[in-house]
Amino acid sequence: MKRFYLKNQLRLKSFRAADDVITDYYRALACAISKPLVDIPLMAFDLEMTGLNAQFDQILSIGMVPIQNGMLQLKDADYRLVSIEGSVGDSAAIHGIVDGQLESAISAKEAMHWFLEKTQGHVLIAHHAPLDLCFLKAEIFRCFGEKMTFVSIDTMSLERARILRQHEVIKEGALRLDACRSRYGLPIYAAHNAAVDALSCGELLLAQMASIAGTEELTLSDLLR
Amino acid sequence: MDASELQPIVQFLQQRVPFLSLDEEALLSGCRSLTIGYYSKASAFVPLDPLHPQLYIVRSGAFEVRDINGELLDRLGEGDYFGFPSLLSGEEASNRVAILEDGLVYHLPPEMFNLLRTKSREFDRFFNKAFAKRLRHQGRFKAKELTTTSRITTLMSKSPLTIDMKATISDAARLMRKSRVSSVLVIDNEKLVGILTDKDLRNRVLAEGLDGSLAIHQAMTTTPISIESNSLVFEAMLLMSEHNIHHLPVVDSGQAKGIITSTDILRGQSSQPLLLIGEIDRQKDLPSLIQVSKQIPLLLQNLISADARAEEIGRVLTSVTDALTRRLIVLNQQILGEAPMAFCWLAFGSQGRQDQVACSDQDNGLLLAHEPDEAAEGYFEALSKAVCAGLDECGYIYCPGDIMAQNPKWRMSLKKWRGVFHQWVNTPDPKALMHCSIFFDMRSVYGPQSLFNGLQDEVLNNTKDNDIFLAGLTGNSLTSTPPLGFFRKFVLERDGSEVKGIDLKHKGSALINDIARVYALSAGIKEVNTAKRIRVLMDQNIINRKDALNLADAHEFIAHMRLSNQGYQYTNGKPVTNYLMPKDVSSLVRHQLRDAFKVVHDGQVGLKLKMMRSY
Repeated sequence: MKRFYLKNQLRLKSFRAADDVITDYYRALACAISKPLVDIPLMAFDLEMTGLNAQFDQILSIGMVPIQNGMLQLKDADYRLVSIEGSVGDSAAIHGIVDGQLESAISAKEAMHWFLEKTQGHVLIAHHAPLDLCFLKAEIFRCFGEKMTFVSIDTMSLERARILRQHEVIKEGALRLDACRSRYGLPIYAAHNAAVDALSCGELLLAQMASIAGTEELTLSDLLR
Repeated sequence: MDASELQPIVQFLQQRVPFLSLDEEALLSGCRSLTIGYYSKASAFVPLDPLHPQLYIVRSGAFEVRDINGELLDRLGEGDYFGFPSLLSGEEASNRVAILEDGLVYHLPPEMFNLLRTKSREFDRFFNKAFAKRLRHQGRFKAKELTTTSRITTLMSKSPLTIDMKATISDAARLMRKSRVSSVLVIDNEKLVGILTDKDLRNRVLAEGLDGSLAIHQAMTTTPISIESNSLVFEAMLLMSEHNIHHLPVVDSGQAKGIITSTDILRGQSSQPLLLIGEIDRQKDLPSLIQVSKQIPLLLQNLISADARAEEIGRVLTSVTDALTRRLIVLNQQILGEAPMAFCWLAFGSQGRQDQVACSDQDNGLLLAHEPDEAAEGYFEALSKAVCAGLDECGYIYCPGDIMAQNPKWRMSLKKWRGVFHQWVNTPDPKALMHCSIFFDMRSVYGPQSLFNGLQDEVLNNTKDNDIFLAGLTGNSLTSTPPLGFFRKFVLERDGSEVKGIDLKHKGSALINDIARVYALSAGIKEVNTAKRIRVLMDQNIINRKDALNLADAHEFIAHMRLSNQGYQYTNGKPVTNYLMPKDVSSLVRHQLRDAFKVVHDGQVGLKLKMMRSY
């Protein structure tokens, strides 16, 4: 039902879209989500931001890696730095991006165009997806005047649901990306940037899908919570 | 995109054999071509698509490879590979890969796999089918010249005499007198600041009329020329001659670790085998022989640190033992007088095979030309007791199983020896078979060769083509099997159990010795050294050339690992054992040892087929 509703919504929005790239995006997505889950192209991604407030903080970088036929495809992994207004400020300590490196960065509008093209026809995957989507929506609205609808899977809420299903208490920090990964025996990566975290998130989804698939037949609706 | 995007993957692969042999560009393109999958225990097996073979690289989890008959071939963990045999052969995979623990696996597509094989010979060699079959290609077997390539740690004094900088010149001189050394290292705040030598005391103190109560820094050589502890003896010699000095402090990051002097280097030279044997032959009594034999452990360490071939080390050490034995016989005959009849001093076991290493015990016997009368018996008892006692004092401890010439049981006439062997061969009960591994590897160390031949020819006549005896001997040698390989921190046995360490002697070298012995006895071959036995077996087409070379290489490799492990244990002050711990083994050596074990296993299977067919 959910999928049917989504598809219609995407079709409708494609007629009223403000830009060609957005029209194409909605059409491809509506087409993708009608397929069985194994055939739907997925795109794990991660953003780095100057802060946590989508209204006045900015996107610093975007990393992504696609999943096809249940496998992460490193040859199509990609990464962009986004130029910002003002300085990276305090968060540089976290992301390791310094102002100088931002010289290779592209503008926010170019970045959004690139993102929409790259992820066309893909269901998005992110850890704590609502935050990243919030930033993307705000930026795309600024650039194209479009109130975006994305189809996304949130590995964090999948994990929360799994833990709750097992009637366990969710401890502080238990839903962080590395904490989730270690429960599936996935290696912990020392480096953290948008590209590595997109990869980490993609691997986590594969592990989650494998653990759910062990018990039942998996559909997209199972994952869109 | 640059390398930093795939950093975790690049980092993981660049530490692995054989990916570490790739240049940065090739490694990066390899990483970029990967796909990543996750395999859950719930699906039981990794689906191997026969149409799309690829190289599987285990990143996490655990897997088990079994052949079509369900026999365990390998257990795989982080950093192990599977799927490459069908990539190389183009044949459909017949092995099954079971998932033991959920895990992440990288897949390298065939096009990239083949491209990387062309980029790096080592990469190609590693995965090539031939690699598993043939070990002979490594430079590691090359013997090097001793003095130039051994490390200074084998020669230096490890607890150098030191004195604080605030001490006086007289203090230092008294300390040197008390310790009977020609130099002292001067230390300030645990760092080396200078050295004071006999020569300094002469030139800077006495000749200049300096007061002995002055502080030491007025007489010492400040910031002396020093050397790092991992340097070669050759480099130390070079430094000394360049600067015309005789004392070199050994310093690692400012801290004095030891001192090496020109005398140490000279002494190191004298522990070269030829000089040592010459010295043995010159000694005139037991106490001086004991003194000389103290250099034997040093000789072993020198040979190990020079990376000599294990086979050569065994032969060198055994020739030293032989020389000592002969010298002891000669010296005791000078006391006891001429022997009443011809006799041979027999060496059995490792001395017989010429593969003695550290802490060997004695295995010997006496072969007499004919039945001794009471006087002769008394003479040989006195002689053998004296020689065995002498060997014991020289570091070759008494045989715990009492297989020694001083035991009247193993001091017999030719006729009686023949009878004993005859009985072992014709009634091969378990005890007789146990004796075989010791007594059938026999060699005469002293005495007329014709007498020894009289025994050996007879024995080989008995064993040659003696199916019942050979089948018994084979059965006995198959009671122990080599391990399958490694899994994580453990050694993986063939039955799937995991043990902490591997006994390289009993689970490796001894098994190859057994295989070579059975074949040699079956063909009446006189050689007793395992490498020589294998060579003759190959020349006579009893073992095919490829198998023979493999067996010889595996023998050398395992023995080499055992020796270098013992060298490591010795230099780190650990007890010297035959046990190798997986954590001390690099990923390359893990693969090489695994291949060597495979050769031993194949050798055992071949032996069983040949010798136990009808039983």
